[in-house]
Amino acid sequence: MEFGPIFRAVTRHRARFVLIVAEVALTLALVANCLTLILDAREDLLVDSGFDEENLIVVDTEPFEDAFREEAYRNRVTDADVAALRAMPGVKAVSHSGFTPWGDSTSITGIQYDGKPDMEPIPTQIYLGDPEMFKALGVEIVEGRTFTREEYNAPQTNDVERPLSIILNRKFADELFPGGKALGKVIRFGGGESPPLTIVGIVDRFYKPVGDVHERVMFLPSRAGGYPFGPSYLVRAEPGQANAVAGDIEATLLRVDSGRNFEIRTMPELRREFQSRNHMLIATLNAVMGLLLLVTALGIVGLTSFSVAERRRQIGTRRALGATRRDVVRYFLLENWLVTTCGAVLGVGLALALNVGLLNVVEGSRIGWQVLAAGVVLLWVIGLGSALGPALRASQVAPAIATRNV
Amino acid sequence: MLRMENITKIYRTGLVETRALRDFSLTVEEGEFVTITGPSGSGKTTFLNVAGLLDAFEQGTYLLDQVDVSRLSDREMSRIRNEKIGFIFQSFNLIPDLDVFDNVDVPLRYRGLSGKERKERIERAVAQVGLSSRLRHLPSQLSGGQQQRVAIARVLAGDPKLILADEPTGNLDSGMAREIMDLLEQINEAGTTIIMVTHNPEHAARAHRQLHIADGRMVDLERIAPFPLNRSAAGARPAVV
Amino acid sequence: MLGYNLRLAWKSVRRHPVLSTLIVLGIALGVGVATTFITIYHVLARDPLPGKSDKIHYVRVNNWQGLTPATEEGPPPKLAYRDMMGLMKSDIPVRQTATAAAQLVVRPEKGARPFRGRIRLAMSDFFPMFDVPFLYGSGWDRQADGKPEAVAVISAALNDRLFGGENSVGRKLRVEDREFRILGVIDHWQPPVRYYDIVDNPVGVEVEDIFLPFQWVGPMEIRNTGMQMSGGNEGNFDNFIDGLNASERNWVQLWVELPDEARRKEYESVVAAYISEQHKAGRFPRWQDFLVTSMLAFMEEREVVPPQARALALISLLFLTVAAVNLIGLFLGKFLAKASVVGVRRALGASRRAIFLQHLVEAELVALIGGVAGLGLAVLTMALINRGVEDVPPLHINGLMVLAAVGLSLAAGAIAGVYPAWRICAIPPARHLKNQ
Repeated sequence: MEFGPIFRAVTRHRARFVLIVAEVALTLALVANCLTLILDAREDLLVDSGFDEENLIVVDTEPFEDAFREEAYRNRVTDADVAALRAMPGVKAVSHSGFTPWGDSTSITGIQYDGKPDMEPIPTQIYLGDPEMFKALGVEIVEGRTFTREEYNAPQTNDVERPLSIILNRKFADELFPGGKALGKVIRFGGGESPPLTIVGIVDRFYKPVGDVHERVMFLPSRAGGYPFGPSYLVRAEPGQANAVAGDIEATLLRVDSGRNFEIRTMPELRREFQSRNHMLIATLNAVMGLLLLVTALGIVGLTSFSVAERRRQIGTRRALGATRRDVVRYFLLENWLVTTCGAVLGVGLALALNVGLLNVVEGSRIGWQVLAAGVVLLWVIGLGSALGPALRASQVAPAIATRNV
Repeated sequence: MLRMENITKIYRTGLVETRALRDFSLTVEEGEFVTITGPSGSGKTTFLNVAGLLDAFEQGTYLLDQVDVSRLSDREMSRIRNEKIGFIFQSFNLIPDLDVFDNVDVPLRYRGLSGKERKERIERAVAQVGLSSRLRHLPSQLSGGQQQRVAIARVLAGDPKLILADEPTGNLDSGMAREIMDLLEQINEAGTTIIMVTHNPEHAARAHRQLHIADGRMVDLERIAPFPLNRSAAGARPAVV
Repeated sequence: MLGYNLRLAWKSVRRHPVLSTLIVLGIALGVGVATTFITIYHVLARDPLPGKSDKIHYVRVNNWQGLTPATEEGPPPKLAYRDMMGLMKSDIPVRQTATAAAQLVVRPEKGARPFRGRIRLAMSDFFPMFDVPFLYGSGWDRQADGKPEAVAVISAALNDRLFGGENSVGRKLRVEDREFRILGVIDHWQPPVRYYDIVDNPVGVEVEDIFLPFQWVGPMEIRNTGMQMSGGNEGNFDNFIDGLNASERNWVQLWVELPDEARRKEYESVVAAYISEQHKAGRFPRWQDFLVTSMLAFMEEREVVPPQARALALISLLFLTVAAVNLIGLFLGKFLAKASVVGVRRALGASRRAIFLQHLVEAELVALIGGVAGLGLAVLTMALINRGVEDVPPLHINGLMVLAAVGLSLAAGAIAGVYPAWRICAIPPARHLKNQ
């Protein structure tokens, strides 16, 4: 092969090739790190919450009439709201629920095993809701049951003797009671006197990335909802009906009681808002990567053109000595490939170094070998693609140039 | 004006060493018009480059206008080139992007003269070569003879003590060449020292003194006589491009 | 000479329009991306109250009684009401204010629908301490804090909405079932970082519409919005105010202004003494765990600048660097193509330095053009970001951006141009003179 002569030519024109090596190395380092950050952010974006997000609508109510200060009045309106929403066409399920998937607020509490008041409490997300909550969310109760009407309707007390029914997600239940033995077990709130909390049901999946615990939840039955923060509702529409239903909700609820304002959002909207930082990160990194590759390609085109122009006479001589056009093209592509590969080797090192630096600043993963491999292949392609034009131009150099005086 | 003693200039390409000038000595007095002939590769251009401070030399001493130039910095050499030396090239070497005015302006810019003085000098010099009507023409819009006159105007505007001309008529037809020679003679008569490399024996003969370089050394013309001068010069001619 | 070099540079730029456009584009992209993220970073990270932020301190004490610590390091991020009251008895701070957020129903006059207004509970010192600018009137005085008096300060936006932008000082404002007298209207005020609310929503949330004296919490039975934690007795009391005074719920932010290090030390000993006294009464099981943190340090601790913004700022700078390195080759080709002209200039008396400068000026000129284009790009990008992303402060073109764009493009021009300019000036002048 021609490696020997090419390599010697490369070492003789050091500056030019050092530049290409530097370009390729820097580009690979940056691209590999951008890719890694993108993959991390995408993982967050693509996560499956386990809810029927596409068809969910969240309704927050903000009462302003003084009548709402009275609990009995509030409860009557809540029941009427749920009934009115359920009667709307295109609605599959309605729940009075304190839980908003992809909302930016959360409440976290600590729980303990029954009879172990000295253990360090285990933190979990905690939300209040009604028996319809799981149907509305579209999660399956895989063991046990949902709340009963009675549990939901029971007035709020501070009585620590009165047992409460709770529902956990499967992952958390298995964490607390390995081997699928959670159902029927009792746990307690940490940090003081607590009513017994009996696990009556287990839902198959839960995910909400707010606070430190993302995959633990405890649902309690309650019709809480006060003033001026009124009850919130989860409305699950028939597939494809979410936007239409969302548009009619305000009028429907105003007919029930006009003494309040509403905030009505579909779950995809909420999720997008919640993840807007990740969306921006991905968009920016994609843009940076694309531009970077473009700029690098331009740089390689420039340097290779320059290199061809400088060696026109030499090329002519080669042609005069019997090299075919194809040989000339191959020569330049091989030369480019050799230099790109040197750059890629250096770039892998740089990428890993930059990765370490970035991980000091931002949480993320280490660069995977797949990403590096993809980066190297990408740069090979870009390198060869960029060199092709100038190489073809080189092959057009007439052999006669060799004999011509400058 | 110019005094070279035992100058040696070596070119190195890889492992090959070429002595372009060997023990080269020459003295040119102020106001002289000297022509240099010699075959291709004899060292004529190297001599001009060394004389014009465009190239360094390895051994020997070179006094230009009583100044030893072998130890000067790039800046000091540039200044001497700018103020004391004027170059005229075979291929004119005008800057294609710049019009006549701006081309003549180039050396004056590096001298840091005021705008007003530059303008006066440029207009005077261009008038001297008879191109006042072409001030805003680009080189590509001028004939070869006109281009060379612009190059001469560029020299005149700088008012140098020494002009180094490298085959100034080489690219011109005989009519234009004669005009250029007339112009150079006028300039010399006004007191400027001129050293000119040429292949044209007729032009060479117009000088006060004719020198011959062969193989990197000055050859005494008295000694190589009775060889007819025109034959040796003519013999060198075809090889030069 | 600079003028001359600029003229030559401009000629050269125009002679190679395609190449020049490519270079300009490369730099514009790099500068655009880098300027955008440096601006975001700077807007978030800069000192929000220069000359003052080192005096303003945030106070935390660890009243936490839970078995698990409230946070990984140190006390909970907010105070219990009772501790705020206890600590505010100190007269060492020259100014101090408790603050919390709430949402209450605002009832406009003239039959407009009531709405939920965003309320900031604060004390009189809040306004001078945080340099709040007033359009009309002023904040309230310390007397109004204690009673509390029914006075309010509103935002310019609410003033526009309710009073058509007129001077509403002295007018009435109904919040819930009470009437407040408006004392001041805040001028359009939206610091990129709401530095008085670092715990909850420092970035991406507008300044509240209504400021009320903090002590209305009791009489109006206000529950705060924003983070709250409870690591002890929540207090189940029949009476709201009794509950407020006895609860261990952490929900109040306390800022104190301590003019110098001596006062700070003094204040710390006051806090320590307070904790000792409470400890004797059976509280503060974690004993002397408290923090008096300066504003900037607290912003740093709470990561007001999101790590992603740091990472993007870093990546965008690297991007610019790579773009500049890529341009080295283009400049090299462009300059070396002119080697013969450089030879002529050298013969006519241009020193190496003059040639170097001429070409560096050319590189910098192209870079600057790229920088200006990049600035346009950055403005565009910021508009996109402001439209599409939630928790980013409003971004506008400002002096810093212009400075950053110019500085970055000059730096990029230097990276891209120095080596080619050096190469071209180092060519022996004689080489290209003989033939063209």
